[in-house]
Amino acid sequence: MKIRKIISKISTTILWSILTLITLFPIYWMVLVSTRTPVELFGKPNLSPTFFQKIHWKNFTKPFIDGIYSDYLLNSIIVATSNAALVTVLALMATYALSRFKLPGSESIFFWTMTNRMAPPAAFMLPLFLLFSTVFKFGDFALFDTKIGLILLYCVFNLPFAIWLLKGIIDGIPKELDEAMIVDGASLFTVFWKLIIPLAAPGIAVTSLLSFLFAWNEYLLASTLTSVYARTIPTGLSEFVTTTGTNWGTMAAVALVSMIPALIFLFLVQRYIVAGLTFGAVKG
Amino acid sequence: MKKLFIAIVASIFSFSAMAGGHAEWWKKAGAPYAGTVLQGVAENTPPGQFAGEVLAKQFEELTGIKVQLENTSWDSMYDKAIKDMEANSGIYDFVYIEQDIVYDYLNRDFLVNITEGLANNPDLQAPGVSLDDFTTFIDYFKDGSGDVFGVPMEAFIKVYLYRKDLFEAADAKAAFRAQYGYGLSPATSFDQYRDNAEFFTHYCADNGMECWGTTVQGHTGHPASTYEFLESIGPSFGLYNWGVNMDTYQSCVENGGQLNGGRAKAALNFWTQLLPFAPPEALQSTWSEVGASFAAGRAAQGWVYGENAAWIATDAEKSAVVGNVGVMLPPTAPGVMTQAAAGNGYIGYFDGGAYGIPHSSKNIEATMLWLQFIAQNEVQADWAIAGGRITHKATYADPKVMAVDEQADGYFTLMRDTGFLYAGAPPFPFHGAGRAAIDPFIYKALAGEMTPEAALDGACEALDKVMGDLGYQG
Amino acid sequence: MFSNNRTGWLLLSPTILILILVGLVPFFYVLYVGFFKWNPLAVDPSMQFEGFGYNYRQLIFDEVFLSSIWRSIRFAVVTLFFELSLGFLLALSLLSSFPLKSFFRGVHTLPLVIAPIVVGSIFKLFTVQGLGPLPHFLKDFFGYTLNYGLNADQAFWMIVIMDIWHWTPFVTLTLLAGLSALPQDPYESAKIDGANNFQIFIYITIPMMVPVLIVVIFIRLMDSLKIVDEVWMLTGGGPGYATRFTGIHIWKEVFEKRFYGFGSAMSILYLYITIVICWLLYSVMVSRGKSEN
Repeated sequence: MKIRKIISKISTTILWSILTLITLFPIYWMVLVSTRTPVELFGKPNLSPTFFQKIHWKNFTKPFIDGIYSDYLLNSIIVATSNAALVTVLALMATYALSRFKLPGSESIFFWTMTNRMAPPAAFMLPLFLLFSTVFKFGDFALFDTKIGLILLYCVFNLPFAIWLLKGIIDGIPKELDEAMIVDGASLFTVFWKLIIPLAAPGIAVTSLLSFLFAWNEYLLASTLTSVYARTIPTGLSEFVTTTGTNWGTMAAVALVSMIPALIFLFLVQRYIVAGLTFGAVKG
Repeated sequence: MKKLFIAIVASIFSFSAMAGGHAEWWKKAGAPYAGTVLQGVAENTPPGQFAGEVLAKQFEELTGIKVQLENTSWDSMYDKAIKDMEANSGIYDFVYIEQDIVYDYLNRDFLVNITEGLANNPDLQAPGVSLDDFTTFIDYFKDGSGDVFGVPMEAFIKVYLYRKDLFEAADAKAAFRAQYGYGLSPATSFDQYRDNAEFFTHYCADNGMECWGTTVQGHTGHPASTYEFLESIGPSFGLYNWGVNMDTYQSCVENGGQLNGGRAKAALNFWTQLLPFAPPEALQSTWSEVGASFAAGRAAQGWVYGENAAWIATDAEKSAVVGNVGVMLPPTAPGVMTQAAAGNGYIGYFDGGAYGIPHSSKNIEATMLWLQFIAQNEVQADWAIAGGRITHKATYADPKVMAVDEQADGYFTLMRDTGFLYAGAPPFPFHGAGRAAIDPFIYKALAGEMTPEAALDGACEALDKVMGDLGYQG
Repeated sequence: MFSNNRTGWLLLSPTILILILVGLVPFFYVLYVGFFKWNPLAVDPSMQFEGFGYNYRQLIFDEVFLSSIWRSIRFAVVTLFFELSLGFLLALSLLSSFPLKSFFRGVHTLPLVIAPIVVGSIFKLFTVQGLGPLPHFLKDFFGYTLNYGLNADQAFWMIVIMDIWHWTPFVTLTLLAGLSALPQDPYESAKIDGANNFQIFIYITIPMMVPVLIVVIFIRLMDSLKIVDEVWMLTGGGPGYATRFTGIHIWKEVFEKRFYGFGSAMSILYLYITIVICWLLYSVMVSRGKSEN
């Protein structure tokens, strides 16, 4: 019995080691590429960690210090965090409403909202462009090429998901608790602040993570709906594919840097993930 | 390094513009528009970067008008420019017009008539700037009556590049003569091209070098391959205007076109048969990768866009073959050169782009100033060196440009002397749709899923259907 | 207080407002455009109405479109199979303890935070001929030629592998969340009855996990049926039509050919198919939820 346990432990460790290698190897290669000059990439792929000897810093300084990629990075951070915050707040309100009130038609509202996420984006780029550039226009201000525009747009994709995630968790908080608080004279805000938010914390963490990641990663729509002032990091990546050669080193450098904020966010909410990712499918 | 270089160039340039003696005029002309921000969209190319980073700053210093150039990828540039002009949303004050799309834009009347605009506003006419200073490339941006709708900012020809070191190696010369019975030299005919390609593929393998006989711009999922076939290989075989009959807009032989005719089939056969002699990345290569493969020393010869010729020949940070690059006209089928010289055909692609002003722009007058600013003779030489492009007749004679020309084995001279043999894309207002209809068949021919003959039969049918659907067949 | 629906609607209203303005309005626009013949580069660049079924009639006979749908569905099913099996296995293994577990788990979640377009770039860097190490070493050690510019099967499976690499972590984590939340009583009574691990897995774990599995299938299907970015970066849909999934095909119709009307109709039809598939799953989900309550 004990031997079997040890064997299973060893085999599990081996499985995970292989898996880790497969996960890391392409990323490792990207790191290598980001530290080399174009000429150094020619010829047989050299897998040795040359970045201990020499880093071609220009791949990083050119886009981020000389270029405007630091602006793109900042735009991405603003758009993704604001979107995550907005989605989480709105979704909490909406989910609470769907969970506590008997609203007619609420189930179809839910499925309908999901369909936004199923749509193939290509055809929707035209109407969104028209909306953003000519319809939602107030004087000189149009949503096109603004961070607010992107933040609102990503709500469409993130809200349904967020509501879905939170629904199971808020349903799991006994109704009697809020009723008791309200009978004691607490406002709805207090109920949220003192009761719902603490109890739904894992769900909130995961909601904000997934919303953040979606906004952080989205490419097609951002590339259509921004121009100069609100460009995000993924849209900037496509600029390296040019007529005069794809600049792999710089592209890898930007891709690498673009992973860092998302990684930090992941790290911050890591411990909530398992408790929060249940999508209400399991009534715990 | 390049950044520093640009900065130095910029500072030199700022003096030369002042020294031009027109600084006062620019200040005065710009004054009413000071503080305006002009927004443009363009494909991300070195000339575009120079315009956006160097020229724009100079222009702003002089006039107070800020220029924001969005340099983006090729597909996204098209999409955004067209959407903006269609929706009349007025986001862009100037857009990049690649030579091949200009007919689509003119057809839809998207662009402001620059000749007329300047004639009606003599106050805007900058001293020392004349649209007549441009090379003939500007003719592509004119309408029927000769009015200009776009100010050229880059122009290139697609040339034949070869590796001098390989072609001049003594052992290679001897081995080639022994095997083929004639002397090794850069190709002027297709048979010779093929022999060279085959020879160097084996030669490289025997000598343990990672190189092959030719480049092929053969991406099987990107229009770059269709472009190489329609713009370079096809014309040099005598297949002009995509094989489309320009009177009836039909492309199949049965209907009076040429796209599945003998020349087209010979061209596609020749081209696909080069694949065994091309580096393995050929089928994943767009223009970017072809340039990179050649720069990496992975091909002995090839059709390479002029954008790339200069940096492959001179930039040691990006290119491993600096000093070993030869430039020539590509090989042609018998008779094609004569036809091209007589103006009845062309041997390859004259590529490039211009900035035009959409009607929807809210700052047309300020943009007119900007476009004239970049049309000054004084700014051309540095721009040519930074981007390998020439749009003005006088630029060829500039000493700085001539120095680069020498390093690049006479690329600029070749362009000056033989540019007339080349042509831009045919005047199709349905360019994108037509090409996209042909794409899959070229991809399949390259991947070996279809024979070249079957692929072209399918391609002409698909193209005819699109031209019919769009209402061009009368 | 919960009987006062006004508060409920008030809480729901910002969500609904955003979804209508930025979600529903574009949808109806696409629906509307889908009834027209419209290409801005045609001789007549205006929208022409030729009957409600004009575009849809053409679609039904459009082999390329129809085959792209089959390709997308095949892709979704194949990736789903691998991601679910692998993800389940990994999630189960994460319930036990083994050395370096949290490190392994941390690395495993890494792909989750990488943008699809970046994943496409990473795989291109890694697998493209002439630059990437993978084709090089496959050739040197196994004599195997990897060239997905030439080989249609390789291109398809390359995208599958990329998708598995990217999305298995999500499946693992979601299933792990589900597994961790399972009630313990059934396990204890099964053990008392003398069931072995395999029996417990088949008769207890799987049935209890069905709701979570459906959720995962729902989410992964929704996303993989409309895959674009990574494929665009890696193969551009080639060679030929080999990786031209419906998302890519629509992209080419709308952006390269600018058949706005036809492309819109395509999107609507494809969206409809996706909705039908997802609705079936959703109904199962809802009915199970109801029967449990």
